[in-house]
Amino acid sequence: MADLTLEDVRRLAASLSLPVTRDDAAEIAHRLNAFLDALAALDALPLEQVEPLPTRPEGSA
Amino acid sequence: MSAVDDDLAFTGAARQAALVREKRVSPVELVTAYLERIERLDGRLRAFITVCRESALAAAARAEAEAARGNWRGPLHGIPFAVKDQLDTAGVLTTAGSALLRTNIPAADSTVVARLKAAGAILLGKLNLTEFALGGTIRFPYGQPRNPWNPEHDPGGSSSGSGIAAAAALCSITLGEDTGGSVRSPASYCGAVGLRPTWGRVSRHGCFPAAWSMDQVGPLTRTVEDAALVLGLIAGYDAKDPLTSRAAVADYCGALTGGATGLRIGVIAELVDGADTQMQVRAAVREASRGLADLGAAVEDVSLPLVPLAGAVFMALCDSEAAGRHKGWLSERAEEYDQGTRRRLVTAGLIPAVAVHRAARARALIREQVLEALGKFDLLLAPTSPHPAPAIASHTAPVTSKEEAGARFFGRRSYTTPASLAGVPAISVPCGFTSGGLPIGLQLIGRPFAECAVLRAADAWEKAAGLASRRPPLAAAGAPL
Repeated sequence: MADLTLEDVRRLAASLSLPVTRDDAAEIAHRLNAFLDALAALDALPLEQVEPLPTRPEGSA
Repeated sequence: MSAVDDDLAFTGAARQAALVREKRVSPVELVTAYLERIERLDGRLRAFITVCRESALAAAARAEAEAARGNWRGPLHGIPFAVKDQLDTAGVLTTAGSALLRTNIPAADSTVVARLKAAGAILLGKLNLTEFALGGTIRFPYGQPRNPWNPEHDPGGSSSGSGIAAAAALCSITLGEDTGGSVRSPASYCGAVGLRPTWGRVSRHGCFPAAWSMDQVGPLTRTVEDAALVLGLIAGYDAKDPLTSRAAVADYCGALTGGATGLRIGVIAELVDGADTQMQVRAAVREASRGLADLGAAVEDVSLPLVPLAGAVFMALCDSEAAGRHKGWLSERAEEYDQGTRRRLVTAGLIPAVAVHRAARARALIREQVLEALGKFDLLLAPTSPHPAPAIASHTAPVTSKEEAGARFFGRRSYTTPASLAGVPAISVPCGFTSGGLPIGLQLIGRPFAECAVLRAADAWEKAAGLASRRPPLAAAGAPL
């Protein structure tokens, strides 16, 4: 997937009413692209084999 | 302050409590000794946001009078403690490390503070932290916290002040809060002991939240014995936190046998030998694993291949939850946030829901891998951090690429977040020093509610290694005398 550009990030943030200052924009874009790369890599895992439970019910084995 | 007073300040809380009970030390002496150290050292270290000088002295005088009458409140009668400023304290400023809460004075104590007070402990103050316990703060609104072993270096976070205050002996015991390593990281960087209990073992009532399914309050202390003592007092069911467990609270101090015989310990190969792990850290952790074998444990390597993904998975889950919680303030008071916090929260608000859902499923896979390994081993062993405390300047500089962002924010978190994602207990205990004099932390991870095994191994190692008696060279490191 192509990296999001600064303009992409500004538009996305504006649509969600999230504040992106001129100083913050570049770093937010780098951080977001790092997230998207890292989380895309999870597709290689057998994610459908598990339920997305945040914790195991207490007392379960 | 005399050398005798300094010795008293560095004495473990369990020993201090015994000295108070034997009337060889008074609560007023203890509180006065710590207030003097705070005045002398904290202008540079900035562990404290608020020092409760007058109320602590008054409480110490009451404790002294009660002791004279033979009236003992509990196991920590007259012992000064301080807590991360994320924990509510009745009538005392509680900022969560943010300028947004600069006037917030809670009406009631958090459950853990109430329990320590009920045990006779005296609140000495509130401790500095990264803003909203999230990490990555660039400008701390209440002063830049500094590592007692070298003030140019980071003390770790988010429970920064708790790690500093424990290591520099600015109070007897401290509490922090650990979502993804926020107790263990400052313990590792500052050369203290930091325990993350099992999720649900300790009440989070009155604690400003970061991520509900991982937040957990835990002690930061100078010895494992003190961590065991504190855990025994704060653990247990709390009707005000419905996610606390009703499981019986164990005798944690009684578990400290001084040996590791019978324990099976798996050394997580991906973390000890990982490319990010610095050579001196690897050597110290391998040496500790050999030391635990000498103490009677059966030690062997184990592979957990999903663990290196834990940092990114954790941040996607924790940060997206935080972004949701802060959405209103972010929209209306964005300029009051620290720049680092604001960038982190805005970024998290832009992560697609599908990606967060993938992270939630990956979390379950990581948890099952950790728990499967803990089916074979009593404990897992790893470095707490791949490196010692970095220079403050190195991690407040702007991020200039996505590769740098990934390395800086996800990499080191993969060392502490596996225990957080799995909800299991983990401790950081000192295991050595770099050639530059910075502490190195050893992490021991246990089965759910098996804090006794974690504490037993950590205590045995601590006593064998003899590192708990080493004190930070505060004056030589530039702290004002």
